[in-house]
Amino acid sequence: MGSIDTPSTENGSTATLGGAGDGHLLPASDSAGYAPENDVGRKRKASVLPLEVGTRVMCRWRDGKFHPVKVIERRKMHGTGPNEYEYYVHYTEFNRRLDEWVKLEQLDLDSVETVVDEKVEDKATSLKMTRHQKRKIDETHVEGHEELDAASLREHEEFTKVKNIATIELGRYEIETWYFSPFPPEYNDCLKLYFCEFCLTFMKRKEQLQRHMRKCDLKHPPGDEIYRSGTLSMFEIDGKKNKVYGQNLCYLAKLFLDHKTLYYDVDLFLFYVLCECDDRGCHMVGYFSKIQEQKAKVEKEKHSEESYNLACILTLPPYQRKGYGKFLIAFSYELSKKESKVGTPERPLSDLGLVSYRGYWTRVLLDILKKHKGNISIKELSDMTAIKAEDILTTLQGLELIQYRKGQHVICADPKVLDRHLKAAGRGGLEVDVSKLIWTPYKEQS
Amino acid sequence: MSRLSFRPRPLDIHKKLPIVKSVKEFEDDETPTSTRNSQIMRLAAEADTEVQQVPTKKVASEIPTPEFVVVDTYERDYSRTFSQPTSYLRARGARAELGEFVEYDVDNEDEDWIQEFNEEKVLLTPEIFETALFKLEILDHKARERAGIITPTLGSPVPVLLQFDAAAEALLPLSIEYGISQCIYDYWKEKRERWQKPILRRLQPPPPSNDTNPYNVFRPREKAHRLHTRRMQRRENNVQSFEKLRQVRRNLDQAKTLLEALIKREEKKREVTESEVSLQRIQMKYKHETELLEDSLALSGFPSFPGKFGSSEEEFVDSDDVAYSRQNARQNTPFSDTKLVMVSPGSIKREFRRRNAPNGWLQKLDPLEPVLLFTKPLVPEKLAAVGIVPPSSSPMTNIASVRSQSFHGRIGRGGRIVFDRWNPLLHTPIDCGDTFYIPPKPRPSMHN
Repeated sequence: MGSIDTPSTENGSTATLGGAGDGHLLPASDSAGYAPENDVGRKRKASVLPLEVGTRVMCRWRDGKFHPVKVIERRKMHGTGPNEYEYYVHYTEFNRRLDEWVKLEQLDLDSVETVVDEKVEDKATSLKMTRHQKRKIDETHVEGHEELDAASLREHEEFTKVKNIATIELGRYEIETWYFSPFPPEYNDCLKLYFCEFCLTFMKRKEQLQRHMRKCDLKHPPGDEIYRSGTLSMFEIDGKKNKVYGQNLCYLAKLFLDHKTLYYDVDLFLFYVLCECDDRGCHMVGYFSKIQEQKAKVEKEKHSEESYNLACILTLPPYQRKGYGKFLIAFSYELSKKESKVGTPERPLSDLGLVSYRGYWTRVLLDILKKHKGNISIKELSDMTAIKAEDILTTLQGLELIQYRKGQHVICADPKVLDRHLKAAGRGGLEVDVSKLIWTPYKEQS
Repeated sequence: MSRLSFRPRPLDIHKKLPIVKSVKEFEDDETPTSTRNSQIMRLAAEADTEVQQVPTKKVASEIPTPEFVVVDTYERDYSRTFSQPTSYLRARGARAELGEFVEYDVDNEDEDWIQEFNEEKVLLTPEIFETALFKLEILDHKARERAGIITPTLGSPVPVLLQFDAAAEALLPLSIEYGISQCIYDYWKEKRERWQKPILRRLQPPPPSNDTNPYNVFRPREKAHRLHTRRMQRRENNVQSFEKLRQVRRNLDQAKTLLEALIKREEKKREVTESEVSLQRIQMKYKHETELLEDSLALSGFPSFPGKFGSSEEEFVDSDDVAYSRQNARQNTPFSDTKLVMVSPGSIKREFRRRNAPNGWLQKLDPLEPVLLFTKPLVPEKLAAVGIVPPSSSPMTNIASVRSQSFHGRIGRGGRIVFDRWNPLLHTPIDCGDTFYIPPKPRPSMHN
């Protein structure tokens, strides 16, 4: 991200994106009228206003510190001076999900000039890096984009560059959104959406939600409960039978998933919605979706033979880092086991998704290796875990547990090494109690 | 990273791999290459492994995400009314199928409109309004369904078909004033026409599969796969062919309606014709009977022209109809019953043919009488050829000199063809006393 270089002039009077058509600077006199301070420095700063799209500058983030940002978009503020803008900035250190609208006072205008120096520094460090280090960084940078070529990635970022909805209210939580989501055009004019926690209908005003809550007859997702353990329940929803719910869920999920596509209709998908239940109802914690194998085969969905067992996975932000993500992953593999199949998630994985999956794979495989006596093939591991052989190989090779010696491959399972990897892989997440999963694969259903 | 000095054999996933439980085993090995040695050493060395793992772990714990807060009105808005049954919950039908739930929620402009509408006193609650709009949307959709203009994808604006009359009727159960219904309908129609698509999202057609606008979502899936043979392709079971077949069905239905209307029209036309015919017959019968009374000498005659008794089946049918209708007329049924004729035409006709066939002696007696539909003009040459002569002052001499037969034809004063039969002894016309007397041999004379 942030790979487009910004040509900036040394004196800081202009900082425009090369070739940006709308990027013209206002005459200094105009700006002076707006910023009448005597301070020379102030004046100079004012002369760069309004900032052009593409400008790199330092911005105060929620941690109180300044971070480098790039201006993605700007907009006039209501009821203020002609040149008062808000800026939509991308923090170059972080994922796009943290992009946000900021006021001018959050920006350190002195840093507009220093941007060039920083860049030089950047380059210097990058040159000093070994090729290996560099690749490592590149990998972390493009995680989640492996399967997109540069052109489609640019296109994707262009049309999703600014979040349309800033926050949503969903049940108990008001959540800042992460990404753009293609809501119907009627919702173009609003920044906040109110979701019904149960049927996921979204509205523009709180009163509308409250009125809806008085009539909404749902207290849980509109599908079959297939798992219940303690307060946790899992519901299976057929996208064909509950089209509106499926679409609402996709609109919602897109707010938190960058590379999710809403291009096709939901009728081929099954949605598995995880809920925490109390006396107010079943509150959605997260979900994953899965293409229906049988239907996919009939419809000749491409890749259907590639044994994907998961299309999209999301834990809602208020419930993140509590082990739900790994629960969802584990659940998807339990379903695959019931189908006697191996499965793999659809790519690309997001940064967070990759972390969760790597953690899950590591934990599952290493637990087996720790206990297993005698030889074992990758295929056997795959059959035991329903994890696709390729994913097992990547995981073990990534941990350097597969060694080649005396002309053959061996698996290194030194308990000390394994424990260290397990510790690094993070907590195991919530366990799926298979005895509480009541589910028959789609093909066996009537 | 771990660069080996040679390329390892690719790993066979089916091959059993030994599990080495201790790193020491590696060290005990006499490993010839330093590369491998260092690799194992590094693996064993904690510090190195830490270097490998730390980045991932760091990413895991440090990926910052946007924030969230707790909504203070939550506990008030969501009631504590849920209790989990002991069994797993099962899905009910989707809301759309159940049809009780008002799926529509008012939006901002609706709210503003209602507020304006209720300016002085509360005439309309948002709940009623939601129900009304929901009903209008559903009805409009149904109207479009009936009209067969439901499009599978959103190509052009979706027209409004629901009229106010139908709408008002549907809104009746809501017990809102007529005037208010009118206002709601007008508001809905205006909004609906502005949106150019149904307001209820469920009813909006999806974008076409070839649409590339990234803002449009939930396309129907296009076929990624071609069927093997042409024959299979032709009858592909997809949306397009479904639409085509629906179009065919619509066309056929329309053709059917058209043809039914056509049949009705033709039936009416025939009834009219038959009514005219029986009317004429009644008039004729009336005239004949009086004439027969007056002119008892005239024998029941021959048809007015030779072709009348031609071999063509059509003509027989015609004459049958005539006979049959007259029969009806005689039985005081003023008009012929066409239905009856149609039900069992064959047997009835044959019966009548046997009895009444030669009675086609209907002729134009009066210039004011309407033209008979089944007569043809007389051809003098043909008449002459069979020995029928124009009326003369002394028919007796003609008969005696020209023919020795006991009867011959002549054209009467009214233009009728009259075959007189004379009693050679009495020199008087033979009166059989039966108006339906069948002349013994009508045909030979016809076919000369």
